[in-house]
Amino acid sequence: MKDTISLFFAYAKLGLKTRFQYKVDTIVTSFAVFFRESAGIIAMYLALLKFDTINNWNIDELIFLFSLIFITYGIFIVFFMALRDFSDWIKHGDFDRVMLRPRGLLTQLLLCGADWMAAFGHGTLGVLLFLFSANRVGIEWNFATALYYIVIVISGVLIQGAIFLIFSSISIYVVETQSLKELFYWNMRKFAIYPLSIYNKFIQSILIFVIPFAFVNYFPAQFFLRKDDMSAYPEFFMYLSPIVGTVLYVIAYAFWKFSLRYYKSTGN
Amino acid sequence: MNTYLQFAAIKFRNNMAYRFEYVMGILSTLLSFVVYWSIYRALYGTEEVVDGVTFSMVATNFIISLGLNNAFAKNEMFLQDKIKQGTIANELLKPVNFKLRMLFEDFGEGLFRVIFNFLPTVIIAMFFAELQAPSGTLNMMLCIISAILGYIVLWLISFIVQSWSFWLFSVWGLITIKNVFVNILAGAFIPMWFMPAWLRDFIKFTPFDSIYFTPVQIYLGELNGYEIVINFARQIFWILILYALSELFWRRGIKKLVVQGG
Amino acid sequence: MSQTIIDVRNICKTFKIHKRGTGFKGAVSNVFHPRYEYKKAVNDISFNIREGEMVGFIGPNGAGKSTTVKMLSGILYPDSGSINVAGYIPHRQRKQYVANIGVVFGQKSQISWDLSPLDSYELIRHIYKIPPTLYKQNLERFTELLDMGGFINQPVRQLSLGQRMRADIAASLLHSPKIVFFDEPTIGIDVVGKDKIRKFIKTLNQTDNITMIFTTHDMQDIEKTCDRLIIIDDGKKLYDGSLEGVKRNYVSSRIIEVELEDSHTEFDIPNVTISDANNSKMKKIISFDAEKVSINYVMSELINNHSVRDISIKEPEIDAIIRDIYEGRIVMR
Repeated sequence: MKDTISLFFAYAKLGLKTRFQYKVDTIVTSFAVFFRESAGIIAMYLALLKFDTINNWNIDELIFLFSLIFITYGIFIVFFMALRDFSDWIKHGDFDRVMLRPRGLLTQLLLCGADWMAAFGHGTLGVLLFLFSANRVGIEWNFATALYYIVIVISGVLIQGAIFLIFSSISIYVVETQSLKELFYWNMRKFAIYPLSIYNKFIQSILIFVIPFAFVNYFPAQFFLRKDDMSAYPEFFMYLSPIVGTVLYVIAYAFWKFSLRYYKSTGN
Repeated sequence: MNTYLQFAAIKFRNNMAYRFEYVMGILSTLLSFVVYWSIYRALYGTEEVVDGVTFSMVATNFIISLGLNNAFAKNEMFLQDKIKQGTIANELLKPVNFKLRMLFEDFGEGLFRVIFNFLPTVIIAMFFAELQAPSGTLNMMLCIISAILGYIVLWLISFIVQSWSFWLFSVWGLITIKNVFVNILAGAFIPMWFMPAWLRDFIKFTPFDSIYFTPVQIYLGELNGYEIVINFARQIFWILILYALSELFWRRGIKKLVVQGG
Repeated sequence: MSQTIIDVRNICKTFKIHKRGTGFKGAVSNVFHPRYEYKKAVNDISFNIREGEMVGFIGPNGAGKSTTVKMLSGILYPDSGSINVAGYIPHRQRKQYVANIGVVFGQKSQISWDLSPLDSYELIRHIYKIPPTLYKQNLERFTELLDMGGFINQPVRQLSLGQRMRADIAASLLHSPKIVFFDEPTIGIDVVGKDKIRKFIKTLNQTDNITMIFTTHDMQDIEKTCDRLIIIDDGKKLYDGSLEGVKRNYVSSRIIEVELEDSHTEFDIPNVTISDANNSKMKKIISFDAEKVSINYVMSELINNHSVRDISIKEPEIDAIIRDIYEGRIVMR
């Protein structure tokens, strides 16, 4: 474990050193990511100046909901960048190099690359949104709620990690998976940012049962906020995120393990 | 002129080669629409009209502005790649105006996406969303002209930001920031009607409402003859201003390139 | 006699290739009726390599040598057959196994473009958990042997191709591997650079008794470094033996170069081909198959019937032989 952590820092040191050769660009790019991700929130804020609430969620509560998506993505991308770009890793032969090193494959992939600019952009946005909203939405912060908050953040990271682990496993068979990621992750994420209850049943079912983004932010946020639109769903969904995260990750990991032996090394 | 139309035609044909990506592209546009459609459905709640704006107007506004926004999206790293790889020099030697060529190529691609991405999206959206029909044949034609002018405004803004590649390591950040301004201030993420008064007043002094909101208003029949003329004039005014700016940046950039030998 | 370190028996590997149609029709049929083609990349190859040996793998593009090396290094599973390297089954015991090997890809660097070689070495030290004393010792030694002192602290993007390759080779050796695979380590490098690399490899092989496998297109690499040659073509092993053996066993063509007193001589020797040497009209090149016509006979014909100023017997260049082997002009027996 200690060894793994020290390896993570060795990779991180190198990654940051590389990035900071282009200081200005790194800062501008991180800010651009931050700003791009804020766009939807700004639009929502402006709209609520007119409409006050959406399905009874006020802007503070919405911001608390948004913060979970961005915090989890900010952490996710520190560990899962290699899996996000795994098609390229296969195409360019980088995965071959990973296989030639005496460490676990997934260990290396998770530790080796962070998209620091995305991490800064999403992470900062998430943290700012959280700081802004955490005290305004009437959450009673104590040890239990703080602990549960940490648990759901980790669960949110695991859920998204599992989704990308599945994409990466599929990449082993077909290499190019850009469209899959576009459809099942990025487009679903567009939906997941807002309260689940504004969508029709079909979209809700997808976000609960297929690509379980609802367990990244909506249901965990409901644990803290208890908005009345939660009555449409079983109450235990608020506590289900850790289980969804773990189970999904285990399934993804099994699929990954199974797929590895079909690796064809199309490098060069 | 004929030469430039050829460039547009080639780009148009090249795009026929892709297929799967297009299905995904339509889906992507459609899903963006569904997100905003759902948001405003929830915001409207049981109301049908808010401040004199019907829900179907909102839906129509979104399908046009979000749809065109997606259709007009292009590779905005094009100029940077050309400059960083040094191939821009070869382009300048060719006996065609590079900027015009780029505009027509992009236009060809944009047109392709309007026909094969935007229109199918609209047709699919009609099955579940209440969209307004155009407010007359003449208005429909004026809307198309105004959308083309809007495209040129958008293109020139993009070109100006792209031309910063002559001075910066990467313009990706700037382009992304520019797109946030376009998405919000041009009304792709929030209908112009619901913006706070101060913001609308501010936008009146910018080119952003010339991009999507003018065609949307004409389409909906919101403008009378006189207002249409004024809006066209504004679009053309912005095209001239932005064109002058783009020329300025472009010439300075080329000069820098020549002085420093790339 | 040293011990066998690599034992490969009857390995096969078949790839399924998705055949893509072209144009719109092709694109549609791709989705509904994907068509596949099967290609036997490696077809029943076996060999043994002893500890400390230096073996060259050659073969034309797509011959299966890369696939073989990838199976040996644990990247690919063989479909059938068995591989045992240094007591490990590479694809099954990957993690333990790869600590014992180093791999150098001429076309794919393992050091970071934006950082100095030293930065990348530090990371490699972490990944391989190299003990500090060994790391220090190896680093100093390779820096000296590969003459890297001048650029080890410079960003890799500023280095020449040759320097980068040397830095890359050092990166693959820092953990003191027992076996090193070189996949075209000299590709694109100038003559002086190539020579430095070859010398280093040779030295290391001799002093450290490291087993080395070398794939290359450059026969000079093989001639200057390897004792043994394995030729692969079309997934099959065509030859396995010494470099000299290729010439001795498979090449019966001989070339005699003669310099004559008179340029207008007419030759009348059956079963030989005669051509002008390109640098002199007085010189003729006579090539023939030594199995059909004896050297003795050709020589005596020449000396008896013509006024010969100079005469020499040449062996064909190894490059040419290998090319002939690939193209099937020389039938392997």
